[in-house]
Amino acid sequence: MIPAQFDYQAPATLEEAVSLLASDLDGAKILAGGHSLIPAMKLRLAQPQLLVDIARIKSLAYIREEGDRILIGATTTHYQLESSDLLKRICPLLSECAKSIGDVQVRNKGTIGGSLAHSDPAGDWPAAILALGADLVLVGPNGERTVKAADFFLDLLTTDLQPGEILREVRIQKPEGRFGEAYQKVPHPASGFAVVGIAVHLVLNDDNSCKSAAIGVTGVGSKAYRAPAVEAALAGTNLDDSAIAAAVKHVCDGIDPNVDLYASSDYRCHLAEVHTRRALQAAKARVQ
Amino acid sequence: MKLEGTHQIEAPRERVYQALVDPEVLQRCIPGCERLERTGENSFAATIRAGVGSIKGVFDGNVRLEDLREPEHFRIVVEGKGAPGFLKGFGDLNLEQEENITNVNYSGDLQVGGTIASVGQRMIQGTAKMMAAQFFTSLGAEAKTGVGQIPPQHGFFRTALRWFSGWLRRIFRKR
Repeated sequence: MIPAQFDYQAPATLEEAVSLLASDLDGAKILAGGHSLIPAMKLRLAQPQLLVDIARIKSLAYIREEGDRILIGATTTHYQLESSDLLKRICPLLSECAKSIGDVQVRNKGTIGGSLAHSDPAGDWPAAILALGADLVLVGPNGERTVKAADFFLDLLTTDLQPGEILREVRIQKPEGRFGEAYQKVPHPASGFAVVGIAVHLVLNDDNSCKSAAIGVTGVGSKAYRAPAVEAALAGTNLDDSAIAAAVKHVCDGIDPNVDLYASSDYRCHLAEVHTRRALQAAKARVQ
Repeated sequence: MKLEGTHQIEAPRERVYQALVDPEVLQRCIPGCERLERTGENSFAATIRAGVGSIKGVFDGNVRLEDLREPEHFRIVVEGKGAPGFLKGFGDLNLEQEENITNVNYSGDLQVGGTIASVGQRMIQGTAKMMAAQFFTSLGAEAKTGVGQIPPQHGFFRTALRWFSGWLRRIFRKR
């Protein structure tokens, strides 16, 4: 339970963090909330040479509106997102997702950027970020680039972040029109991680038919993913029980569901169907 | 934990089989394999640095090939241990040829214990699938070259490809 030796640096600015990271591409690791990295280090499953602590860079934690977008800084904690009045008003999926993460201690320290960059296959944020079609801003030695959430998650614990790059900001288009959102999750009884987690962003036409549905799924595959077959099956329907029941059957299409001691592949897929249905029903009921 | 799957390789079955039982080829194809030395006719000692993302561990162990029936079948038995835990398992590989493509069907059982099993249990299967996919992608590239030809350098090639695709992406984003 004692980590291997490592150096620690707490830069004051993001530029400094980028250059520290560049000084040792193999051995340096970004520390944000530390709720995935520190446990792994204590078990010596991760042995970085240098921790670059970005949680102390004050200017990296924010939630603000800018034009038609919501901007969220990478080191904004789960608790800050959960308790933001702005998000509760204009993008409640984010507050609901934040509320479901871990326990109070985890939410007070853990950050949205850390969770996304770690890309745990059962992390909650990736599902919500995918359903909202967010853009992620990455900064590295060669400047900044923006990646769509759908292109960011590559595989188990693997993202499009290149060596030396830091996730700086999450950008979300403000939801518009008649929309409803919901996050439904089966938490693992011990860890609180999502056995399955389903994020839904639903937009209705004036006649209450489904204009578009965006569904992010976590916990089921080796990475979080969108469920395009379910989305396509819902578009244009009136979202009654039979339309939803038919659509959710496709939630595991093309996915080889995870197996662990808690859930077999079939059971996990069954859970995903049930909770996609519930998330859709909850989202529909919340449309104003 | 059961592991099974099928990978297609664009090469004749004999060539794929030879590649699969050639320690030099295996060392280049097994992700993170730092050492693979022959210790007997069909047994080898290996050091593998396995991991995904920031989670990494070094395993030392033995690999044994059994039940060799060229060019259609063999069984691979592995046993290893390292700081993060131990692993033990076997896999049956069956090769089927369809015109110019060889289907490699594998099925096996893997037991993982120790720290990595108690805290990383939910990710073991995903890691195994990811490493199998990397292995067969490299093997596919290897098998396309003839015996004795200089094989592609996966490490270098992959890095160059990643750099190039990243560069292309950046160019198009700027527009």
